[in-house]
Amino acid sequence: MTSKVPSRVKAAPLLLAELCLFALASCSSNSSTTTTTTPAVNNSVAVTAGFGPLGQAGGVPNGLFVNITVCQHGTQNCATIDNVLVDTGSIGLRLIPSAIGSVLSPISENGNALEECIQYGDTSYSWGPMALADVAIGGETASDVPVQLLGQTTFAVPSTCLTTPVLAGTPGTPPGNEDTLQTLGANGILGIGNGAVDGPWDCGSYCTSNIAGNPYYICPGGVCEEAEVSTGVQAENPVAAFTSSDRNGVMITLPSFGTTGAVSVSGTMSFGINTQSDNAIGSATVYSSDQCGFIPEVVYAGLPYQDTICSEEGESMGGFMDTGSNALYVSDASTLSTLGLPISDCASGTSGYGFYCVTGGGTTILSNITLVGNSGTSGLVSLNIEDATTLFNTFNGVLNDLGGDSGEGYATGTDSFDFGLPFFLGRTVFIGITGVTGETTGAFAITAPNGFVAF
Amino acid sequence: MKTTLSVLLILILGNIPAWAALGQSEASVTADQQHMKSEDRVQTFQAYKIHQLTTASGPTVREYVSPQGVVFGIAWQGRFTPDMNQLLGTYVANLQTATPAQTQIRRLRGVTVKTSDFVYSNFCRMRTCTGRAYVPGLVPSNVSVEVMR
Repeated sequence: MTSKVPSRVKAAPLLLAELCLFALASCSSNSSTTTTTTPAVNNSVAVTAGFGPLGQAGGVPNGLFVNITVCQHGTQNCATIDNVLVDTGSIGLRLIPSAIGSVLSPISENGNALEECIQYGDTSYSWGPMALADVAIGGETASDVPVQLLGQTTFAVPSTCLTTPVLAGTPGTPPGNEDTLQTLGANGILGIGNGAVDGPWDCGSYCTSNIAGNPYYICPGGVCEEAEVSTGVQAENPVAAFTSSDRNGVMITLPSFGTTGAVSVSGTMSFGINTQSDNAIGSATVYSSDQCGFIPEVVYAGLPYQDTICSEEGESMGGFMDTGSNALYVSDASTLSTLGLPISDCASGTSGYGFYCVTGGGTTILSNITLVGNSGTSGLVSLNIEDATTLFNTFNGVLNDLGGDSGEGYATGTDSFDFGLPFFLGRTVFIGITGVTGETTGAFAITAPNGFVAF
Repeated sequence: MKTTLSVLLILILGNIPAWAALGQSEASVTADQQHMKSEDRVQTFQAYKIHQLTTASGPTVREYVSPQGVVFGIAWQGRFTPDMNQLLGTYVANLQTATPAQTQIRRLRGVTVKTSDFVYSNFCRMRTCTGRAYVPGLVPSNVSVEVMR
């Protein structure tokens, strides 16, 4: 049994009117031309890295958080939400009910609320209705963005969304349900991934014509079933929906500090790339993404880590920059120790379990890691890895040298380079968004149909 | 009436192992293939056989079969994690009951479970998931676990 939900049509004249609201001067003086002048929007917002709202006792180190505002469309009925996790590894805005109240308008189809269920790789899941929101981040605004309200539904999680069993002991009610501050460790997730081949939506064209693995549901008569839905109602990267020209990407700048980390650090997230004086890409190297959003090849110590997942021929993801990953999950301990590095997986039962330990408790350096973008552009980075047990003993919320094994296997065909939040410390990293990249005026001429990362 | 009920129960219960794959006979791959409505491409190597199940849009699943005809491992890649309740068969309980000391979690992204008789890993980022599961005791001694990918 399948259902079709019609497209939510965005009227072009309305969008233009909204643009004019934000750039009155340019619209009145340039009314005879079709060129849009860049609006002087405050495109920058503060971000904080650390444990987040649960603190050291209940939080996870190396989270990145931002404050946002969501409003019922076209009204001043708004909620300001702090501690929203900034995630360059997912798409769309998801908010917990306690943070948002009931200000947003639900998306419905013939009287049935549109629900979404996402199974995460760690066996937890988010389940709740879709709603429309006007989203403001810093001075940027997006109108009528489909967002997910976590929880806030009376329908039970459908069995087709629980095809992987939730691990015993996982927090949540029922276990695995990420719909409270306590379980999520944040008031929401701001998914601003580059989007890749499917565009700035969390499912894209796949969900317009497929039922298997489709996260969208309607529940007529209380029975929830997957629904084919247009991209117009799918969770959307709010940045890609900004009314300003700053919708082509984000720029994240975080400071560097000593090897054992800091309690928390403040930085900035700016919107737009080469659209304003403060977001010039300058001489940063641009690594274009492949169709799955990965840097297709990373080479370290002569061993290639190539994205073979995208072609469904292997388990490696190549490389990717992911603020939602809390460590540098790179290669694997067996390979690195074979290369002579004093790295091992921290033993089960120790505080560092799940991360890299360094023999003797010091720091080791992975130098001359080559990244090769989809267009062939290459460049080098190096990473410091410090003993995880030593780092956790500092009780710091930001650990710039925290590393871990990228996969359960120990062959380059199954391993990857997941450049998590520590990679962003002491750098300015640009994330170029699919589909909107290259649409801006001026000197911006990067061709990267699947988005890019640059630094 | 009572007889009908018990026959029905047997049929329902009978379905569970018949739909399983990991640790089951090669014939159970057919059940997976029907469940996934997929194509089955078989590659035969000296020490093992691969059944590659593919659909037009869903994940690709590879099932690794020993010369004794037992599925000793599974690997997958695609837009979403395939139905583990089916593919893991009875080993789904090993996943559910893994203890924290056997479980490494990458928050919202992935999990690795390692025990002496069951290994599982899965990872998802944006719309791409990958993982594998195997039973160390069933992997032929002359086959590296790294062939499962």
